[in-house]
Amino acid sequence: MPGKIRQTPLKSADRDYLALGLEGSANKFGAGIMKHSKDGSAIVLSNVRHTYVTPPGEGFQPRDTALHHREWALKVIDDCLTKAGVSMHQIDCICFTKGPGMGAPLQSVALVARTLSLLFNKPLVGVNHCVGHIEMGREITGAQNPVVLYVSGGNTQVIAYSRQCYRIFGETLDIAVGNCLDRFARIINLSNDPAPGYNIEQEAKKGKRLLPLPYATKGMDVSLSGILSAVEAYTLDKRFRTQEASADSPPDEDIITPQDLCFSLQETVYAMLVEITERAMAHIGSKEVLIVGGVGSNERLQQMMGIMAQERRGLVFATDERFCIDNGIMIAQAGLLSYRMGFETPLAKSTCTQRFRTDEVHVAWRS
Amino acid sequence: MAVSLSQSLIQTSLPISQGAEAASYLRSFSDSILKVYKAQLSPESPPILLKYRFKKHYRHPNLDLNLTRSRIAGEARALLKCLRSGVNVPGIRMVDATDGVLGIDWIDGQSVRKLLPGGTEDDGPDDPENQNDTQAGNYNDLKEYGVSVDGLMKMVGIEIAKMHRVDVIHGDLTTSNMMLRHPKSFSSSVTTLTTELVLIDFGLSYQSTLTEDKAVDLYVLERAFSSTHPDSEPMFTSVLAAYANTMGKDWPAIKNRLDDVRLRGRKRSMVG
Repeated sequence: MPGKIRQTPLKSADRDYLALGLEGSANKFGAGIMKHSKDGSAIVLSNVRHTYVTPPGEGFQPRDTALHHREWALKVIDDCLTKAGVSMHQIDCICFTKGPGMGAPLQSVALVARTLSLLFNKPLVGVNHCVGHIEMGREITGAQNPVVLYVSGGNTQVIAYSRQCYRIFGETLDIAVGNCLDRFARIINLSNDPAPGYNIEQEAKKGKRLLPLPYATKGMDVSLSGILSAVEAYTLDKRFRTQEASADSPPDEDIITPQDLCFSLQETVYAMLVEITERAMAHIGSKEVLIVGGVGSNERLQQMMGIMAQERRGLVFATDERFCIDNGIMIAQAGLLSYRMGFETPLAKSTCTQRFRTDEVHVAWRS
Repeated sequence: MAVSLSQSLIQTSLPISQGAEAASYLRSFSDSILKVYKAQLSPESPPILLKYRFKKHYRHPNLDLNLTRSRIAGEARALLKCLRSGVNVPGIRMVDATDGVLGIDWIDGQSVRKLLPGGTEDDGPDDPENQNDTQAGNYNDLKEYGVSVDGLMKMVGIEIAKMHRVDVIHGDLTTSNMMLRHPKSFSSSVTTLTTELVLIDFGLSYQSTLTEDKAVDLYVLERAFSSTHPDSEPMFTSVLAAYANTMGKDWPAIKNRLDDVRLRGRKRSMVG
């Protein structure tokens, strides 16, 4: 790319900065401590998470999830401080997820953040969850200006940076991809431990046949709810056999197994996601792609994205489950960036919101 | 293995990314998930545009084959329907669904995206000075075509309405997917017209009579406007005004649905 390198508005740190990040917008409670050193490096001092796992066939309800966060918050934060070897007094700011997410869990975490802020007299920084994912992904992978595919249980967005804003180029028109996978896992009674998506991925490896499912891309947007209905309909098909029953049937019989369905579902929805990402890359002429969010830890998605990037002579950046799946450190990273730009959330405004779009955030720290 | 006719045609034609037209044509295909070539069926014939949906290795081969086939066939079908109903689209010159090749008329002109402010941003997003230059260039370009921004928006609205009236849904309406014919290459029986707006890239199109689908089509365009062109609201308003005018009695239903779809859009940001 021709042209001069722009100066970043973020001044280099005059001293070491420490931030505590608290995240709890869905079924994970996470705490992390991020250090921005004087020499410009960012160091993850600790990153602790506890996940609320529900029995197979059940999702997590807001009320129970909030209870889980309240029960675990102090243990996780304590653990996180111990691992980092710092005390609360050394922290510069407390960052918490302002949104988007489930209301009750968000409120529980905001309450913890507020209490800590008052107890130790530390400033609060409210952080957009999606921006947290993006900033952490950029920090870990070193991607400069990538097209971001943000895929998780609640979000499916293709994002690119432009003029101090993360613009959404494409997103889901109905349910998020993680939600689609989670709900299918519930239908076929897969375990939620460690994550329904992970178990679908393992099952899909045993699937052999690709069943036709709707392929719904609309421009740079995707629609996923129809695919969920279609794949659910296969479980009522008379060729469908559960795992136990399929073992008894002769090898040449025309049957559909849960593994085939997992395989077909993954192949179809990931192909759609890679396609809209490719479209966005072509649209803005970018060669880098970064995958963030819980579904981003899926290796098949990473592999497909890799092939696509290779065909375009581009690069794909992805992180592992520590940073893909919701965590506290990403909130600390995004929060510390805006704190160093002089942003603080006064106590009276330290509310949280279920609806907080990625493009509403002023990205002051990038040029 | 014998090389098919389409394959040998591709081998002898000019990939657009390397051609002189690259600047004006290349990114007009937001859908550059395919390769585009400029070709000639015979030495004397006018140039045609070849769209080659090459194999996507990230997709499961069966899925890829089915998608390629149905997209080529669907694109040809939609173009044909538009041509018959007088919507400005490129004419079809060849179809090879198995090989994934579609040949259409070559259009001399410029994409609407490039003619509007902000549309050339990707050429130099890191250089504000350069950006100002190109923005000034936009307006001069538009003058060359003899239309104002508002006139252009009106043409966009009318063309989309004509297409929706025959129940063709474009599926990927962006300012990159519309081209203005260059006045030099355009001769019309109506002398006041210096150019015409041509809708291109029907790769994601389908047929539907549903208000829902038409509303989503418009919503996709609205989003494309707001993500590509700064301060696009008045522009999109005049697109809708011209659209409403042409659609007539069908408009109120589509308008209501469009408002619904927009709300749906907002809901998406709920959880994370």
